[in-house]
Amino acid sequence: MAKFIVRRVFWTIPVLLLVILMTFGMMKAIKGNPFRHTEHNIPVAIQKNLDRQFRLDQPWYIQYAYYVKGVFTWNLGPSMLQRDRTVNEVVAQGFPISAEEGGLAMLFALIVGIPLGIISALRQNSIFDYTAMTFSNIGFAVPAFLTSTLFLYFFALKWGHFTGFPTFGWSGFHSKVLPAIALGLGPMTYFARLVRGSMLETLQQDYIRTAKAKGLRWRRVVGVHVLRNSLIPAVTAAGPLLGYLITGSFIIERIFAIPGIGQYYVTSVSSRDYTVTMGLTVLLSILIIAANLIVDILYGVLDPRTRDQRA
Amino acid sequence: MRRKRALWVGLAMALALAIAGSGFAATAKQQKKSVVVSISIGADPPSLDPGLATDTTSASVIANINDPIIRLSQNQALKPLHTGLAQNWKVHGTTVTLYLRHNDRWTNGKPVTAKDVVGSWLRTISPQLAADYAYQFYGIKGAQAYNSCKAANCNALKKKVGISAPNKWTVKIKLVSPQPWFIQQLSHTSFLPVYLPAVNKYKTAWTQPSHIVTDGPFILTSWKHNQSLTLVKNSKWRGAKSVKVDVLKLPIIVDAGTALNAYRAGTTQIDSTGFNPTDIPTLKKTKDWHLTPNLGTYYYGFNVKQIPDVNERKALAVAIDREAIVKHIGQLGQIPAKTFTPFGIANYKTISKGGWIPAYGDDTSRGLQLAKLYMSKAKNPNMNFNLYINNSAGHIQIAEQVQSNWAKLGVTATIKTLEWAQYLQFLGPPPNPAVGAYRLGWLADYPEDYNFLSLWTCNSGNNNTNWCNKKYDSIMNKAVHTPNTAKRVALYQKAEDILTGKGGAMPIAPIYYYVGAYLEKTNVTGYYANPLGTDFYDGISVR
Repeated sequence: MAKFIVRRVFWTIPVLLLVILMTFGMMKAIKGNPFRHTEHNIPVAIQKNLDRQFRLDQPWYIQYAYYVKGVFTWNLGPSMLQRDRTVNEVVAQGFPISAEEGGLAMLFALIVGIPLGIISALRQNSIFDYTAMTFSNIGFAVPAFLTSTLFLYFFALKWGHFTGFPTFGWSGFHSKVLPAIALGLGPMTYFARLVRGSMLETLQQDYIRTAKAKGLRWRRVVGVHVLRNSLIPAVTAAGPLLGYLITGSFIIERIFAIPGIGQYYVTSVSSRDYTVTMGLTVLLSILIIAANLIVDILYGVLDPRTRDQRA
Repeated sequence: MRRKRALWVGLAMALALAIAGSGFAATAKQQKKSVVVSISIGADPPSLDPGLATDTTSASVIANINDPIIRLSQNQALKPLHTGLAQNWKVHGTTVTLYLRHNDRWTNGKPVTAKDVVGSWLRTISPQLAADYAYQFYGIKGAQAYNSCKAANCNALKKKVGISAPNKWTVKIKLVSPQPWFIQQLSHTSFLPVYLPAVNKYKTAWTQPSHIVTDGPFILTSWKHNQSLTLVKNSKWRGAKSVKVDVLKLPIIVDAGTALNAYRAGTTQIDSTGFNPTDIPTLKKTKDWHLTPNLGTYYYGFNVKQIPDVNERKALAVAIDREAIVKHIGQLGQIPAKTFTPFGIANYKTISKGGWIPAYGDDTSRGLQLAKLYMSKAKNPNMNFNLYINNSAGHIQIAEQVQSNWAKLGVTATIKTLEWAQYLQFLGPPPNPAVGAYRLGWLADYPEDYNFLSLWTCNSGNNNTNWCNKKYDSIMNKAVHTPNTAKRVALYQKAEDILTGKGGAMPIAPIYYYVGAYLEKTNVTGYYANPLGTDFYDGISVR
């Protein structure tokens, strides 16, 4: 197991280098000037000063080398748009908030989604099953900006006196409930459907019949044999999903005015804030790689058969 | 033993309660007195460094925590007042002398002196800072040379910059030419002095609340990025008596709908974020709705190499139904434009007297007839060209309207959209040959028509039309050397006539003059959004 983890960690280095190279290449490919945001043209001398300041006057491989060096020493450089801040500061300020937001959303998705899927599968074709699945389909189909807007309008603005939910912001538990549900709704319905499907499949398996036949209590059959085997797809999906959730959602953060990191994914690209885009892409890739690693380890816990193959 | 411990715990708890209680009583007392106003702003200020900030959100915060060298009157004239850091000034040809007031103090108690001003300006001009707005200083002797210096000669060129402090309270400026608007230009936030010891000590972190030193009506006490800023009244500021607000909360709300929710819920008293087009009709009917003129013009430019005949350009300019655009798309109350000089500029009436383009375009038969008349005079008109815009909903709607207006002249304009950053680079300089017509706007840096009309000189970096007129250039050059306002206005009028007058070259079709809007609760007054996009909070009071 240790060997497996070491090898996986080692493999992240070339992956990261490739991610940096690709992001760097794509950023250079789209045109635009990181210092020009308005109609006002920038005089040549000032453009030169700016380029020198941010090393944009250097050849691309030197710039790439600086980015790589920055990533591996965790010094992501100054932001080109927010001249008083470094990318490290942007990440340090926004990431904990997005991580909390995504964590809460994930918690909501798992706590509600998995039981919903289990009960639906155990009571297949019942009223509960139909209601839960209809609800899931709707929840999956409706975009987050709509649910967020509706949540805010009803629960914060219209009934705010009773619910106490603020119309925006991120301070105190109360302000976090609506965004967490809005962000977690999609993944929640996804988990519910995934678990239901996989449960139904597992329930048909021979070993379940055997377990039942040898006289085990139904609760134990479900708790140990069915659940354990049907959760594998959910775990597979959960890893990368968590990676995406904790790096923030542009839409949710914008609508709820949450000071997370999600909005920078969009704004840094549109303003050509190269260093911020680069820093965030690297952050996201590290998180996804880590999440996948954890998933692989969890496989081993859930399914002993996969343990030996990888050692 | 156990009893003893219980006693201690009990005592400690009682003490804690007492402290908390007294603290609570104190804050309750303070809260009774202090006036708190919450204003939503539409973005996290990219920078609170006066030397580096380039956007209006940053400028608004900066202008309230600092003391502008020149404050402008709150009417259309935007006259320089003697209420800023410079209480007096003298202009003698190319020499400008500023006399600073003696009672302006930094928040650390030290006086704001001429040395601070000179040092700050040299910092902004220096190539090391790499400030976008260093070009605001290019009118000062030696500034451009120092800003574009190579490492070896920088120190020598720095000494040649025409800024000096003959004594503690006097700043002497040598200009490259008499720029009669220089005093007004000094109202711009890029001219604000900064407290250099703090800047040198904390580098880029000097604008953080714990490090920042300023000299304005408010003090920055908290800056939570993307969340909120808090400004507290500076009771030691020289004009503190007239400031009626104790605490200003500036929650950062990017989304227009969310900002409106916060305003409706009463969390904010002023909404300066901006509005969704669907909300505007309802909001306009409320007493909370306020309009403010902006010094800016929304226009379409023509590539005169693709559309060489002036009669065709006139036909295209006349055909645009401006009234429909401002009424149904702009909605705020924008003003249909006849000239490039915007409505808000001083002496607009005189300068724009030759403006003749009808607001109704092809909506009335007369407008269309006029356009067709010009079209019939055009030799080899270009009936098929590309109309470039940047891809935001409002601009697309306007382009579609213009496209249908032009179709009535038989012209096929193909709308091409690009994302903003790419669009700016695409247009030029140098002007892109693929462009037939393009949309842009211009918002003033300083309240003088020169800032607008100089755009269309031959060497201007913002002229993407390929239009170049020597006579126009010489008039604009003359304006720089004409301190007499009436004479200068007459020159602007001439230039505007060459540009958009009846006998003009029409390299552009002005469409409308920008306006700004905000919501203010009816018990709040005194919020001032000036036409240059800077908001002032020191006059706010709550009834």
